[in-house]
Amino acid sequence: MCMVNLSNIRFSYGDDVVLENLSLAIDQGSFTAVIGPNGAGKSTVLKIIAGILTPQAGTVTIRGKNLREARYDGLIGYVPQNYGKNISGFPATVEEVVKLGTLAGLNRKCSKSAACHIVDHMLQLVGCKEIRKKRIGELSGGQQQRVMVARALAGNPELLLLDEPTSGVDYEASAKIYELLGQLNCNLGVTVIMVSHDIEKAIKWSDKVVCINRGLCFFGDSNDFNITHLQSRHRWFYAGLQGEN
Amino acid sequence: MEFLQYDFFQRALVAGLIAALVCPLIGIFVVVRRQSLIGDGLGHIAFAGVTGGYLIGWYPVVGALVLTVVGAIGIELMRRRHTQYTDMGLAIFFYAGIAMAIIFSTMTKMPSAGLLSFLFGSIMTVTTTDVTLIAISGTMAAAVIYFLYNKLMLIAIDEDVASVTGVNVSLINMAFSVITAVVVVVGMTVVGILLVSALMVVPVAAAYLLRLSFKGTLIAAAAISVVSVLMGLIISFYLDIAPGGTIVIMAVGIYATLLICRKVMELKTKYSRGLPMTRHK
Repeated sequence: MCMVNLSNIRFSYGDDVVLENLSLAIDQGSFTAVIGPNGAGKSTVLKIIAGILTPQAGTVTIRGKNLREARYDGLIGYVPQNYGKNISGFPATVEEVVKLGTLAGLNRKCSKSAACHIVDHMLQLVGCKEIRKKRIGELSGGQQQRVMVARALAGNPELLLLDEPTSGVDYEASAKIYELLGQLNCNLGVTVIMVSHDIEKAIKWSDKVVCINRGLCFFGDSNDFNITHLQSRHRWFYAGLQGEN
Repeated sequence: MEFLQYDFFQRALVAGLIAALVCPLIGIFVVVRRQSLIGDGLGHIAFAGVTGGYLIGWYPVVGALVLTVVGAIGIELMRRRHTQYTDMGLAIFFYAGIAMAIIFSTMTKMPSAGLLSFLFGSIMTVTTTDVTLIAISGTMAAAVIYFLYNKLMLIAIDEDVASVTGVNVSLINMAFSVITAVVVVVGMTVVGILLVSALMVVPVAAAYLLRLSFKGTLIAAAAISVVSVLMGLIISFYLDIAPGGTIVIMAVGIYATLLICRKVMELKTKYSRGLPMTRHK
């Protein structure tokens, strides 16, 4: 069953066309990595799927619903890039931040005790139960990222969108984040779409890869994805990717 | 406790306590949204509203309320338009407000004592009508914050995340701007236009040093604000000095005391761990 369907998407920032005629169908329960060089339009694609940006042309549906319905139903969980500047020093504890996730979907009508139960469960899931009383701004980058994933999951989404979840995170913490996302995908069946600079890890953990570069797009199984193969077909693409590594 | 026998002091106490409770409610969100100077900007627009209202024969507080709400909506619209320079709209409205206030004050025959009372606060001279207006506005602001508490917190963390969660970010930001304007006018009566922002920000800054949860910081800020108002009113009564300034100085004093305590505790912790007291080069 199709979870995300992008059809003939066109998006530009002023005169700068970033996406042209982009069509994608991402299956329910898949783990998709979106990769590409800087400025390729990776985050733009994610923001279009999340409904943060509106494309100039084309349609987006989430499980057959339009974005407005999908957002109201809490189908989408979103973890942005660079939220760190907002939460550094933010006077809220981990559990307060995770509880905000219950504002989404059906959980928005849950009682206070149910919300506390959800927070407990989510913190257990991401392995942050012992730091629940700590202030979010005092945590390491990896811990903050796990907390933000827990917040996104507290709305019980079917689709989890993550923009560079391992940026600014050390090697060990980034491996744990990938492992966590893999578990969420396998055990809970959450469809994961993740923008990543770390091509090697992204390919290792995902089952589908979307490789984009300003309007051009490769979409396929991560097992079939081969940079050398891509090099022979699209030299420009490889040059861009090499720059990222 | 002889001061409690006077009617004017009782009114001042009620007005002061309402403002003390409501200002940090808004203030905590103003601080985490990095809009700490919005109280100043709106305060100057409120001054234009006072003088403008007087010019056309309105009750000054009503004039201030109308123009400040209009200004707050304008600032929010500018913030949305210029997302990279969010404080630009505030600066423009700040300057426009003070410019209008100067023009209106030269056009009107409002006595300078009246103008000064709005600039520096006149809590000891608040009327029963003022107290009623402050109570109504304060209750409205508290109700809005109660119902939007979680959504405002999520918006402060990340507007995009809030919108994906299904929160109507534009509407809530607009409601928050309007309610901030209302609180500025409430605070204006108590500590004056020049100090209203301080009553919103300083107790929150002091409570922030306690490293509590968001809710804990909010409660501590309200408590610090109440203590500042009570101490400020009593001290100003006995020393016959300006109550508005005294209230703010009390809040700043609490902030400074907490800051010193915090630094001492940090040094003690460092010392007990046997770490060097000076920074490494």
